[in-house]
Amino acid sequence: MTIIMLIVVITVPFIAFDVLPAIGDPESPPNSHVSDYYIEHAIDECNSPNMVTAVIVDYRAFDTMFETTVMFLAGISVVLIMANKPRRRIPSPGDFKRTRNTGGTPIYQTINKDVMISTIEPLILIYAMYVLFHGEVSLGGGFQAGALIGMTYLLDVMAVKRDKPIMNLTKFMSAAIAGLGPFIYALTGIICFIGGGLYLQYNKLPFNIHEAELHSIGITAVEIGVTIGVAGTIITILNALRERISFDDDND
Amino acid sequence: MMTTINAFLAAKGIYLLTLILLSLGAAGIIVCNNYMKKLICMNVMQVAVIFFFLCFGQKTGGTIPVALSEVVKASEYINPLPHGLMLTAIVVSLGTTGVGLSLLFRITEKYGTIEEDDLIRRENKTKTGEKE
Amino acid sequence: MKENIPVLIILLPLCSALLCLLLTGLHKRLGRALVVLATAGSLVLSVIQLRTVITEGTIHYAVGGYEPPFGIELVIDSLNALIIVMISIIGFLTVLFAENFGDDRPVVKGSANAILALLITGLLGMTSTGDMFNLYVFLEITSLSAYCLIAMGGSKGVVSAYRYMLVGTIAATFYLLGIGILYSATGTLNMGDLSAILNKGGYDDVMLVSMSFLIAAFGIKMALFPFHGWQPSAYTHAEPGTRPLITGVMGKIPALAMFRYFYCIYGTDYIYVKYLLILLGVFSVFGMLYGSLMAMGQSDIRKILAYSSVAQIGYISLGFAIGTPVALAGSFLHMIGHAFMKGGLFFCTGAIRFKYGTVNIDDFGRIYKKMPLTCGLLVVAALSMIGIPPTAGFFSKWYLALGAAGRHEWIYIAVLVISSLLNAVYFFKVIEKVFIQQDKGLDDKWSKGELELPLTIILPVVVCFIAILGIGIFNVKLFDILMLTLEGVGL
Repeated sequence: MTIIMLIVVITVPFIAFDVLPAIGDPESPPNSHVSDYYIEHAIDECNSPNMVTAVIVDYRAFDTMFETTVMFLAGISVVLIMANKPRRRIPSPGDFKRTRNTGGTPIYQTINKDVMISTIEPLILIYAMYVLFHGEVSLGGGFQAGALIGMTYLLDVMAVKRDKPIMNLTKFMSAAIAGLGPFIYALTGIICFIGGGLYLQYNKLPFNIHEAELHSIGITAVEIGVTIGVAGTIITILNALRERISFDDDND
Repeated sequence: MMTTINAFLAAKGIYLLTLILLSLGAAGIIVCNNYMKKLICMNVMQVAVIFFFLCFGQKTGGTIPVALSEVVKASEYINPLPHGLMLTAIVVSLGTTGVGLSLLFRITEKYGTIEEDDLIRRENKTKTGEKE
Repeated sequence: MKENIPVLIILLPLCSALLCLLLTGLHKRLGRALVVLATAGSLVLSVIQLRTVITEGTIHYAVGGYEPPFGIELVIDSLNALIIVMISIIGFLTVLFAENFGDDRPVVKGSANAILALLITGLLGMTSTGDMFNLYVFLEITSLSAYCLIAMGGSKGVVSAYRYMLVGTIAATFYLLGIGILYSATGTLNMGDLSAILNKGGYDDVMLVSMSFLIAAFGIKMALFPFHGWQPSAYTHAEPGTRPLITGVMGKIPALAMFRYFYCIYGTDYIYVKYLLILLGVFSVFGMLYGSLMAMGQSDIRKILAYSSVAQIGYISLGFAIGTPVALAGSFLHMIGHAFMKGGLFFCTGAIRFKYGTVNIDDFGRIYKKMPLTCGLLVVAALSMIGIPPTAGFFSKWYLALGAAGRHEWIYIAVLVISSLLNAVYFFKVIEKVFIQQDKGLDDKWSKGELELPLTIILPVVVCFIAILGIGIFNVKLFDILMLTLEGVGL
């Protein structure tokens, strides 16, 4: 009953007042007011054939900086929330491992993870680099690359036979790295001040090359920042779950 | 009659679907007793709004917004702005979900339940022992 | 460099938050020092910005050098500039104050400082942005950091944070829906451009539908009366060190955004405006009565203050519902004044909890002998809440009443008076406990040094004390600054 009422309450105003444009109409306001500018000027202004990339990291780069910050924020929030652990203990990771191992041989153990992961990991990393540096030309970008790198770390941790992952990061270090990514982004914008530009105005970067090239440099720097931020956040969340400190916060 | 409905569905039908999805999410948050289900409904709601925004990017006769040649005509590509905006919204909803899940983790550890009425009962029980 | 001040104000806390964890790793105190420096820097810059705005008029800052409808724009008028100064002051004081609470593990300390700085960043950004979608991103930064800070206040805090998160996400979704409708009808995301297009006429239905969603969204975020369900428990259980910022400022900034949409973007020419004004008026009247009545029944001082916040938000939206420039100015004066009053009261409760470990007002007997400064602020803030001259609260209520009288809204004046009397009842209860009741003989948890409290607590207390009296005494000056923007806005 509630569901039907809510559907009516939310849907009726849109139909009754006829506020939305017809779908796919080339003349509708969203398709004609500012979007034409983005489509026609993305190549010559931002040197980026991928218009979505041009929009998110050049025209609306300020948004994306805070979007990356949201990732960092989510990472450290999870660390903070997970840092406190009440008295009533849940099974610790050690117990968890024991119960898992005694429960018969699962099917995935028939695959040699060590070999599989060590062949797959470099491939994923190469692919991540491709996605990162071709983000402005074709589909892709910093977020995807960051997610791929984070996943590589996750795979690395999952390898049962290996005692330690290649890079053994604590949650503190990974959170610090996650903060470094957005900082590279913010720094790119601040460097534009030196050339006398406004914030994130890439064509005022203080290097002596053509303007379009400067946009490419700016976009790449920003994408690298995003990648580091996202990868760091994924590793932070993983580590926050792995290393919890026993501590009851209701004590004081 | 039929032609009117057909014309309406062709022009606005997709909005109707996204709005129904949105209402289902909103109703779920209100009706469900389980906090995990509430979180899932919250996600459904966010996805519905993302769909809603993406509808504005559609343009008849347009292709994906990656330039194929040096000369670009605006009518040949769909609107890139909603896609850019929704990328941001997706990341934000990801962050919210992550924080929500970790909060749920803590609630389960402390109270041993994520059912709302159980939780309220236990909360009232532990009132005396807590000093802020 | 001078033209970059609007963005630097946002960037300084942001960068400090991003680097905080790294520096905490190098040395335990370095990260915190950076956050303190950055917030102090943005406070100085915001004062410079306010002076620039007063002498040279509104600042438009196009981020990335793209002209407004295409890029993101920051718009600072005298109203924004004043609110930014307010956020910076309380943010700086809260960063100092938070030092005394929470545990000392470097991970927790570093992240907590980073999140506090991010909360300040989000609030500053929400105030200065001139782009609808950018506002959404800042709104989310603010809410995410608030969820985390509330969750840090123990296991009850976790549950309140979870509930706030569900409700807050509904609000964010509604906001996105509202701007989706506006975007679909106009094709722009820039507020100035949007205002120009909407005022050409013919958008009445769009405005009604989108405004209903926006009122719901901002109503939830600012805890307006029927949407306030999350607020009392969240304010009560938030992390004690950061509570002044959360309670004092966080609810006000969505109210400012609502004002922007209601008056600066939509204008008052469309046909549905009078229904929306009545709706807002009803919400605020019931909120003022309900909040005051609920506050009377509580004995935990944090709960009293949380419920009184519901009432005080009602005052602010009452000014919006009246809608004349004088009433709007009263509203904003109340916003600024109330930030210092509520922030100050939470500084007091934090200080009392720090020294004696209690929050129950029955334990406050004759506490004024041991903590004269804190109790001085408590009394001044309470008097200001009630509305006794020459404190800040009296003058904001005075302007609200003037505005209401100008539109012959006698009910609003009556409710203002009744609500103030109810305020008097529960605040005199607190004052009575502090001055008259028997001493409970609580043991002092902090007795080193000459001062009654550490310097990082005394400074916020003293600044809030001065600010409440200062806003009251110099209210005409503030009123003039507000009027630079509000002249010609509203009914």
